[in-house]
Amino acid sequence: MTTAIADPVLEVHDLTVTYRQKPALWDIDFGIPQGVLVGVVGPNGAGKSTLIKAIMDLVPTASGYANCFGQSLDEVRQRVSYVPQRESVDWDFPASALDVVLMGRYGKRGLFRRLSNRDRRVARECLRTVGLEAFADRQIAQLSGGQQQRVFLARALAQEADLYLMDEPFAGVDAATERTTLELLGELRDQGKTIVVVHHDLQTAAEYFDWIVLLNTRLVAYGPKAEVFTPELLQETYGGSLTLLANVSELARKQNLPVRE
Amino acid sequence: MIGSDAFWIVLTGALVAVASGLLGSFLLLRRMALIGDAISHAVLPGIVLAFLFSGNLHSLPTVLGAAAVGLLSTIGIEALHRRGGLPGDASMGLVFTFLFAVGVIGVSSLGGNADLDQECVLYGELAFIGFEERLLGMPTSTTILLANLLLVLGVLGVGYRGLFLTTFDAGYAAAIGISTAFWHYLLMGLVSVTTVVSFEAVGAILVVAFLIGPAAIGHLLTDKLPWLLTWAAVSGVFASLGGYALAALLDANVAGAMTAVLGFEFLLAFLFGPYGWSTWRRRRPQTGLEKLRPLGAPVKP
Repeated sequence: MTTAIADPVLEVHDLTVTYRQKPALWDIDFGIPQGVLVGVVGPNGAGKSTLIKAIMDLVPTASGYANCFGQSLDEVRQRVSYVPQRESVDWDFPASALDVVLMGRYGKRGLFRRLSNRDRRVARECLRTVGLEAFADRQIAQLSGGQQQRVFLARALAQEADLYLMDEPFAGVDAATERTTLELLGELRDQGKTIVVVHHDLQTAAEYFDWIVLLNTRLVAYGPKAEVFTPELLQETYGGSLTLLANVSELARKQNLPVRE
Repeated sequence: MIGSDAFWIVLTGALVAVASGLLGSFLLLRRMALIGDAISHAVLPGIVLAFLFSGNLHSLPTVLGAAAVGLLSTIGIEALHRRGGLPGDASMGLVFTFLFAVGVIGVSSLGGNADLDQECVLYGELAFIGFEERLLGMPTSTTILLANLLLVLGVLGVGYRGLFLTTFDAGYAAAIGISTAFWHYLLMGLVSVTTVVSFEAVGAILVVAFLIGPAAIGHLLTDKLPWLLTWAAVSGVFASLGGYALAALLDANVAGAMTAVLGFEFLLAFLFGPYGWSTWRRRRPQTGLEKLRPLGAPVKP
């Protein structure tokens, strides 16, 4: 199914990405309107993270393009904020939480001009928004996984963007971080921002997001979740592994196994 | 005269140690400590070639030419790895040993040349620094190393945030439109230049110790980057002082003694530093459960 979107904030056209001669994404075509909270959902290896990286120009594309606000990314980088996976960096790095959040201001300020007092104020404000005000000067190695994820969110906020692309912000976080993140995403959406979130957990996806992009190398469907979350489309996305997954999590719940992804 | 000799030796050693310690701190954080090893070997053919053309080791073209070979070697390593599909460590091992071999052939075929022999190339000739011709009132090597340190300090001062960001999170840096390749090769260029100018003083092998040692010591003493850089510089200066004393005591090679002192400093930092051995037992246990994926799910690419 494809819905025609007028004035999409994010438009992906004919996008194909190959990884060692094999397609990681095949002919992806969709648009996202302004002010929605979108979950990109699909099985492991479906190319969810690759999709975001391709939109951010971080992996080479074989064909197609992605436009933000009707322009190429280079024209509008200031308005697009990217949250990488937490595991993509070394958290033993000698930096404080505030140091990392201030990186969100580098794009506006340039690398060579001094950061202003306003930059510092915005950064502290963003740390407060994610509930880490008291941890500003804490070294990032001493933060919990969930707190580290929130530092990444605060950095994205500090960029004061209009479109947010987040790679697995809910992966392996504690309940407090999950709640904070959800509230934050809701607030951003209510301010008219557009948020695209790669999400690995099918169970919570329906509850968290307004829109869903179902992905499994090819685009299976996208649109408001009521239209997309149908048994047929989910079956098409996950194939046989959907029932398997459901069985495994059911088993885990029964036996009280500590299963986390 | 002995007193003034000692002064030049310690000063020159310190200039090498501080410049390479600062650069090494960033290499260590980028998990690229051994690229310094690769570069320090790869510049040898450049030095030989430049020596053949200009007849001395102290001209600016010599330094820049040799440093360019070092920089080219990092580009070659990247290319073999990215485009050739060779594993990163294998491509590094291949490129730098090959270039070093070319350099060794060059040096040995120039055999007997007083200014460029195998001893000097491998171990340095810090002890004779006081006999060098003067340039701006200092031994030529010392003047060059001072200029190099000022260059390193200047670039790190201006480019601190760029290196900080691209070292910590290259993905985010690229996402906000910063060229990670520029900062990578800027750092590699500085390492190449520093290696070339340090070559004569401490030799090809020990310059690696100066790139990694002070940075590793700093890492054990602090978790703040400005302090890490400071400690790297301080431990480098102390290694130079202590190394000279040790060399004088044992009548041994000065650069070797400095490296030994550096190793001793590392041991102290490891045993007593706030981020050394004592913290290993306090670290959070990693159960590995976080990384489990559901049974039967395909592995992510």
